[in-house]
Amino acid sequence: MSPNPSPASLALDPTAIPPSDPPLIRLEGLSKSFGPVRASHDISFAIRPGRILALLGENGAGKSTLMSMLAGRLQPDSGRIFLRGEEARFDSPKDSIAAGIGMVYQNFMLVNRMTVAENVLLGQEKHFWVSPKAMEREVGELTRRFNLPIDPGAGIWELSMGERQLVEILKLLYRQSQVLIFDEPTAVLTPVEAQHLFEALRNMAGQGKSIIFISHKLEEVLAVADEVAVLRRGELVGHWEAKDIQSKEELANRMVGRTVSLEIAKDSRMPGEPVLRVEHLTGPRLDDVNLVVRQGEIMALVGVAGNGQKELVETVAGLRPPGSGSVKILGTDWKAFFANPSWKESLSYIPEDRLGVAVCREMTLTDNFLLTTRQGFCRGPWLRRKLARQTVAEKVAEFNVQPGRPDMLAGRLSGGNLQKLVLAREFYRNSRLIVAEQPTQGLDISSTEEVWRQLLQAREHAGILLVTGDLREAMTLADRIAVIFRGRIMDDFPVEDQERMKRIGLLMAGSG
Amino acid sequence: MPIELIIPLLAAAVQSGTPILYATLGEMITEKSGVLNLGVEGMMMIGALSAFWISLATGNPWLGFLMGGVCAAMLAAMHGLVCLGFQGNQVVSGLALTIFGVGLANYLGTPLVGTQGIGFSKVSLPVLADIPVLGAILFHQDVLVYLSFALPVLIWAFFRYTRLGLHLRSVGENPVAAATAGLNVIGLRWLGVLLGGFLVGLGGAYLSLAYIHLWTNGLTAGRGWIAVALVIFAFWRPGRAVFGAYLFGGVMAFQLRLQAMGTDIPASILMMLPYALTILVLIASTMTGRGGEAPAALAVNMEPEE
Repeated sequence: MSPNPSPASLALDPTAIPPSDPPLIRLEGLSKSFGPVRASHDISFAIRPGRILALLGENGAGKSTLMSMLAGRLQPDSGRIFLRGEEARFDSPKDSIAAGIGMVYQNFMLVNRMTVAENVLLGQEKHFWVSPKAMEREVGELTRRFNLPIDPGAGIWELSMGERQLVEILKLLYRQSQVLIFDEPTAVLTPVEAQHLFEALRNMAGQGKSIIFISHKLEEVLAVADEVAVLRRGELVGHWEAKDIQSKEELANRMVGRTVSLEIAKDSRMPGEPVLRVEHLTGPRLDDVNLVVRQGEIMALVGVAGNGQKELVETVAGLRPPGSGSVKILGTDWKAFFANPSWKESLSYIPEDRLGVAVCREMTLTDNFLLTTRQGFCRGPWLRRKLARQTVAEKVAEFNVQPGRPDMLAGRLSGGNLQKLVLAREFYRNSRLIVAEQPTQGLDISSTEEVWRQLLQAREHAGILLVTGDLREAMTLADRIAVIFRGRIMDDFPVEDQERMKRIGLLMAGSG
Repeated sequence: MPIELIIPLLAAAVQSGTPILYATLGEMITEKSGVLNLGVEGMMMIGALSAFWISLATGNPWLGFLMGGVCAAMLAAMHGLVCLGFQGNQVVSGLALTIFGVGLANYLGTPLVGTQGIGFSKVSLPVLADIPVLGAILFHQDVLVYLSFALPVLIWAFFRYTRLGLHLRSVGENPVAAATAGLNVIGLRWLGVLLGGFLVGLGGAYLSLAYIHLWTNGLTAGRGWIAVALVIFAFWRPGRAVFGAYLFGGVMAFQLRLQAMGTDIPASILMMLPYALTILVLIASTMTGRGGEAPAALAVNMEPEE
């Protein structure tokens, strides 16, 4: 035990966890600071073989820092790590891998141009000479032993996100890792793929491995974890048996440290004029798409990623021309609309790829704000920077962007705050059509809640096309739901239609 | 054109393609590891000069050839220091390397201009040289050409069948993934830079030791840049590099021959041909959309953690 246990480490009640097996891994007073920022402070916990520990925390609570220390990517300032009772030191990922700690990062660590077998064996090859055939044979045996349906000779670039995750798991299995760490493993998975993952996690725990699993999704935490630990501002604020937690709400409150409502009140409203009308749109990955979005409603487009959502969104946002068929935005034909788009009361696009499409990371918040609103800050050819800066300062305060200095670089913001900046910018335009693509992906509960509120508020004056892979989000926000499969809209119905709502899962898989 | 003109032309194509082949393969190895080194022209010049001078001073052309590679690798180490040691901009550093290398070689080489050097002469390979047509084209060359035949195969096998080759490729494609797999990214990229620089230097050495046995300033005449373009043309595959190098060698040899025959076409137009072909080749390879085959992390520095 650390000499001066802080209140945080006292919160770990040793009686809460039955001490039958000795822990596989134990952290003692682990701390890490970056300059003045305390990313991890005096964190202690232990995990026994065969257990699944869910690690919860808001964005910036220090989960990634903690995991990076276990993976050997960061070295703690103080504190100790014990592996099977022996003190361990990880100076590099290599040490950590050798000690039996395996990590699956949220952004998969795979070389896309290489095959499954090459990725699994990367860094683990036994001899100077390697043979692609022998590697595939070896990994093939592994896939058969664990019954994972994956072709070892396939290139990573050919695989779906779910399959890529299997490759990451294969890597850990090949290295015979005993402590497996998953960083938000379901963020990119479909509901079915997530179920398969949970089964795999259970299986691996059954073989005596310890699993640490980081998540924002409370349902899955309660469904799969044996223990739950919560981090807040770099400190461990609690560690409980999962069965002692009664409900999602209780867990959310413990995590955020205040009462959060997971249900968002939504009044129904009368939809107005159509702001987007897509008729018989056919093109790459799109097959006779018909879709209408009216002012005052949120239309959720749901489906498994890669079924044409991207193509549809990019067409509506003006990034790719429509093939055959017609796209009318605010009553104007696509070509005429994008020939002379207005910045105000027009179309806003909130892309999925925040750092790649929505903002430039090397530009300041103000300059990023001006990307789509500059026409509002022009006097002749001159930009009214002072006014812009002032507006940005107000807007970032209103949308609670932290830290919100107008002159800082956008790349320094966390994912949630970046998204809030994008929303602040796009909502400033009073757009009448808003296309929001996975607007809460990777955001924590508080940020998600805020983004949802903002979207519902925007519904007052706009029609919103919400593209999401998260069914809960669709059900919470949408007035209507459209299901897309292989580029076709399978069905399109109001959320009140209970019968058809039940069939969403089937529709997403192309049947029903 | 009659066959007795075509065969010598093709033989000349192989010979003038050989230095480009060495340089292209060298740059390819460096780029495969994720480092873009635009200093090829400068490294070739340094390789050519040091090879010429050392073989002249020691009387041993083999030592000169080897040292041409070593000196170019030393120049490449400067690029490594800037880009891998200090995370500097790879394009700027590479351009500086070219300007520096060419300038230094011309300055140090001035006293040697016009000096007759020693080098490699043509050696017919027994039996092989007697094969009709092919024998005359491929097997009546100098020993450095024969050496270059083996290189693309070796490099292909290196990337496919060795652990080190696999690691080198992975740091060029996704250095973060390689690092989490426990590989030493910076170390592997150093290897790519030095090994690549060495081969580029051999290409330069070929020019002063075998292509002509004479030192002139500006000896490389843009061949380094052609090599940079050929890496793209070859889609980072050693086999295609052979084809590209001999194509350029052919155009170079062809325009020399046309000049010697005395055509009406102005010499400056003819001399332009290889470079015009470079532009065409770049357009063509970009249009086929295969430019996407570049190593994914090419010219992307890996920042140290946090």
